Amino acid sequence: MMLLRSPRRRLLGVQGLIGTGILTVVLGVALFGLALPDDAGRARVAEPYAPPGGGLPLGADDLGRNLLDQLIVGAGTSLSLAFIVAAATTLLAALVGGAAGIGPRWLSATLMRGTDIMLVLPELILYILAAAFLGQSFGMRVAILALILWPVPARVLRAAVLTAWSRGHLEVARAMGAPRWWLLLRHGSYLIGPLLIPVFVRTAMRAVIYDATLSFLGLGDPTAPSWGTTLYWVQTNGVFLSDAWLWWALPPGTAISLTVLALALIGTAVEERLNPALREAAR
Amino acid sequence: MGWRYPAGRFAEYAAVLGVALTLNFALPRALPGGPLKLFGSPEALARLTADERAQIATQYGFGKPLPEQFLDYLTGVFTLDLGTSLSDGRPVTETLGEALPWTLLLVGTSIVVTALVGVTLGVVGALRRREGKGSGLLSTAIVLDSLPQFWLGMLLIVLFGVQLQWLPTFGVSGVEGVTVQGVLLHLILPVSTLTLTGMGYLFLYTRSSLLTVLTSEPIQHAHARGVPYGRLVRRHALRPALLPVHTILMMEIGFLAAGSIVVETVFAYPGLGRLTFGAISARDYPLMQGAFLVLTLLVVLMNALADATYPLLDPRARR
Repeated sequence: MMLLRSPRRRLLGVQGLIGTGILTVVLGVALFGLALPDDAGRARVAEPYAPPGGGLPLGADDLGRNLLDQLIVGAGTSLSLAFIVAAATTLLAALVGGAAGIGPRWLSATLMRGTDIMLVLPELILYILAAAFLGQSFGMRVAILALILWPVPARVLRAAVLTAWSRGHLEVARAMGAPRWWLLLRHGSYLIGPLLIPVFVRTAMRAVIYDATLSFLGLGDPTAPSWGTTLYWVQTNGVFLSDAWLWWALPPGTAISLTVLALALIGTAVEERLNPALREAAR
Repeated sequence: MGWRYPAGRFAEYAAVLGVALTLNFALPRALPGGPLKLFGSPEALARLTADERAQIATQYGFGKPLPEQFLDYLTGVFTLDLGTSLSDGRPVTETLGEALPWTLLLVGTSIVVTALVGVTLGVVGALRRREGKGSGLLSTAIVLDSLPQFWLGMLLIVLFGVQLQWLPTFGVSGVEGVTVQGVLLHLILPVSTLTLTGMGYLFLYTRSSLLTVLTSEPIQHAHARGVPYGRLVRRHALRPALLPVHTILMMEIGFLAAGSIVVETVFAYPGLGRLTFGAISARDYPLMQGAFLVLTLLVVLMNALADATYPLLDPRARR
């Protein structure tokens, strides 16, 4: 909210505006997808490999399913997964980072060692491994991603807590005997709170890429259309050798790239907004 | 130069190794429906009699208490016995051994190329920030960073393989068999995919790191003293700016190794990643488990190696 009330005209700059614009469009498409019938993109509606035409602007896939419907429903899958994962991860990271920042030395040391260990393990490999063995339902994918993605933001937030800690007014309040958690919430939150926004956006971005990659490898939820799953069938059918890639592969691939790009632009813009030093240096 | 590998770091990598092994052991056993599901399709399993189930359970030790199973698993790992593949009945270790060199070649080349290109462009981007070139590079980096690896791979195949027909897009060798030239030619597109998607972050980091150093007080003071700009950058700014980049490079290792799963699948490259994809499609769990283990170990070992070489760059870390 602090951001919105700021008197400055240029809230997020051109980059941020472009990012917000793209994301709004994807969000609109996703909302429109909610109005589609339940079997949209899953039911056979045409001849297999039907080219665009008639009621099918993007044609049909190898099982005669409507590719445009898959694209629209996929937007909802991608965005809802990304936002739930980002919320859960940000919460988890704030808890771990906060506890490691203000907790007793043993707790802090244990948490940070744990974080370091998690940081070395490659996220995407862990995600594919866990999803292969534990299942690929929406809830399971969200849970796995949140459990894998927290270490990087937790480190960022711990560093922010430690920086806030050394501020004068916090040191004074601490000397007066205020409990640490109270200090952090009452006097530190305005310093740390805004940092949660880029953490949220960056996590959403990684969730979109990782989940698309999982579906691309054929480990997506087979009952729900998604961009990655459409591209899995593109790969399996060797669509690239024909013109069909123009309406079969190009739309979902572009959709994933644009969504991630939008989140990246917003993330960069928010980071620059929060950290004027970055903007200085970039000049 | 005498320096010793800090015991603390060593213990940490040992812990990472422990966590990786534990996850690899525990996840298949957490499979809904029990570990027996590893041994075939649901239909085939439904046809098994209770006796047959018990027999499989005894044969693979699923009846034993968990700690004992874990010990057996560790013994297997350290004696390079990872079980037999469900699809072709060969020992998993053998299949992995054949694929490993290809992945090492792909990931190793990609790490070197990514580091060289990413850092060089980052330095250029920082020094030319006021000209068009700098901001053009910046936007390109942000866009490239947003492309999923499999998507960029597909685009490169369409452009260079199908439309222009300049480069091979499939496997590691043509009809003439495995030749050095053929292998290198087949390496171009997969390495480009990994490099282009991986260098964005490295570029951004190098750029901002060098900018921070260039605007720092010691450097500005040196500039004010009259040290020429070129010498200032080369002698005073580059080294401190590039030290933190080393850490980012270590993170890239994990990214590139994970990327090999995707890229090898797209380009039908016969390494561990392609093997993983095949194992996933065939639900060949022992092979899947083995491939994941080797990939994870690869990342941990490369990280340890990169970590061990850090003191060579930074004299302060040699104490």
